[in-house]
Amino acid sequence: MSNSLQAILQKLPGPKADTDDWLERLRADALKTISSRDYPSTKEESWKYTSLHALKKSDYLIADEHNSGGLLKKIYSRNDFLEADKLHLVFINGFFQPDLSSDELLQNGINIRPTTTKKADEKYNLETILKTDLTETFSALNILTLCDSLLIEVEKNRIIDKVIKLIFIGESPEPLLKSLRIIVKMNENSEARIVEEYRSHDKDMGFTNVVTNLRLGQNSTLYHHRLQIESMNTTHIGKIDAQVDTGASLYSDSIAMGGKLSRVDIDVSLSGRSAYCRLNGLFTGINDQHIDHHTTIRHLVGDTHSDELYRGILDDNSRGVFNGKVVVSADAQKISARQASNNLLLSKLAEIDTKPELEIYADDVTCAHGATVGQLDETALFYLRSRGISYKDARALLIYAFAEKVIEPIPLPALRQSLENKFLGHNQMSEFIQQG
Amino acid sequence: MLEISDLHVDVDGKEILSGINLTVKPGETHAIMGPNGSGKSTLSHVIAGREGYTVSQGKIVFNGKSLVDLEPEERAGEGVFLAFQYPIEIAGVNNVYMLKAALNGIRNYRGEKELTSVEFLKLVKSKVKAVGLDESLLNRQVNSGFSGGEKKRNEIFQLSVLEPMLAVLDETDSGLDIDALKAVSDGVNKLRDASRSFVVITHYQRLLDYIVPDYVHVLAKGKIVKTGDKELAHALESKGYDWLTDGEESAA
Repeated sequence: MSNSLQAILQKLPGPKADTDDWLERLRADALKTISSRDYPSTKEESWKYTSLHALKKSDYLIADEHNSGGLLKKIYSRNDFLEADKLHLVFINGFFQPDLSSDELLQNGINIRPTTTKKADEKYNLETILKTDLTETFSALNILTLCDSLLIEVEKNRIIDKVIKLIFIGESPEPLLKSLRIIVKMNENSEARIVEEYRSHDKDMGFTNVVTNLRLGQNSTLYHHRLQIESMNTTHIGKIDAQVDTGASLYSDSIAMGGKLSRVDIDVSLSGRSAYCRLNGLFTGINDQHIDHHTTIRHLVGDTHSDELYRGILDDNSRGVFNGKVVVSADAQKISARQASNNLLLSKLAEIDTKPELEIYADDVTCAHGATVGQLDETALFYLRSRGISYKDARALLIYAFAEKVIEPIPLPALRQSLENKFLGHNQMSEFIQQG
Repeated sequence: MLEISDLHVDVDGKEILSGINLTVKPGETHAIMGPNGSGKSTLSHVIAGREGYTVSQGKIVFNGKSLVDLEPEERAGEGVFLAFQYPIEIAGVNNVYMLKAALNGIRNYRGEKELTSVEFLKLVKSKVKAVGLDESLLNRQVNSGFSGGEKKRNEIFQLSVLEPMLAVLDETDSGLDIDALKAVSDGVNKLRDASRSFVVITHYQRLLDYIVPDYVHVLAKGKIVKTGDKELAHALESKGYDWLTDGEESAA
């Protein structure tokens, strides 16, 4: 069988079948799983609205340390990434760049370990985590073609004040597959804020395939902000798999603005009482961008709660997809799940496919969902213009106003600011907004 | 300052204004009264340049310049302001930010230097007291969650900051109780001077007890059917509009 997925697999070194290394065993399993497959087609329900045609016709190189940045790596310096109160880790074309990253990664209470899985430490039970969803094509491909991976562990009872910012830069003019893995382990009563930022150079043609595993121990809190602002020629496939234990809270933001094709799957299991997740998302499309979010929230036990808000802004010929699934297990009583999907279409040719999916097997639950699709309010546009604000600025202001519902709750001022700038240019609204 | 001549306006293919003539000189306040559906709001919107209002005939000239082909923001730049009957709520946009964007939009249009945030805030603080707007409303989102009276005061506050040469007040009295009406009128009266003109559109004479006009025009079926001074408004209050509109019909 020959297709572009198989073409990638053929570039892999042969499997070492009779090794004791658990990772090699996982890889052998993954290979077996997908060795007769192609990428998912639109005939599959979860890919119905998202065609992978672009992947199917490209011949990708697998990123390795030889093509991890080339010349451009030298134009950066650590100072380019420094921000107050942040720890930052820079990856170029899938590989960690210690020279560009914060030099003090070993802080009290936190263990950040940029590591290839060859050196993976069994102490962290990585095998169990990496096994997750291995039957799924992109997860299997991820483990087979893994570049660097990263483990972040926060000690019990620690609150990490500094924001941990992961910056993944793509800069290859040839089609390059970068598979990344991020594992976050929050121990009991810990708290942290993590930003995953994916960006790239204008000419980047890369294919990012990243899996993030979040494990929230009892009463821990994690703020996880995913920002995808890659260039317009890239393909981005992301997956977040989260398990939230008793009393723990996950606050997740997925912001997708870049890439020609972007698909993020978020799957959260609320597995202990009082577990909570808030999934927010914001996506914008211009030209012929295609942005897809599929989320699944699993209320596995009673007294678990979720809130979800996704907002899409689509212009030109762009297309957005939102599929929000909520599964309530039998006996998971007294749960609450609220979901809203609001979409703004700025052009007649833009399109959104939004679908709530509820699977409820318990009877004493509170579930609400709603989806809206609208256009810019002409009266509001006239109101602003009649005050002297140009059409362009008035339009930008109303688009920002729509996005603000997702931006405002983000607890990181710098991230809020950079998003505000993307919508409004450099006229800063925040200086008028009283803090507190 | 404002010269409207033989103005015909269509909305959705239907003629709403059928030959309006109106001249407003600097410093004058003109009241436009009339029954519902007479075209009062259409007149205000067509002066401000709202889309969907087609001028099929006639002219609107402002300080020697034709307004008809200008965009709404260009009209604001020329010095025209419309206080809305129903001010728009814009959740997610800070009130002061919006106003700064507006003032700097106008200053840009006129080739003037933009104000910095510090300069702007100083200006705003000095204006906010004049119209009796609660200072806490400044940092709220535009009109969002404002009471009816607060929205109208916010319109007058915007007027005081943007300092237009011509302000059109579209039923600014609607939905106001007597205290709010007085406060809004006080705000307007403080802004009246020898160079600034007002066109006050209202259904009721009540507002004109507080904002006393130089002229009162009665609009009916798309035309000005009578012009007088403030006494005309009192006559309308006691006699209603029928005696004017019936007369117009029998004359036609």
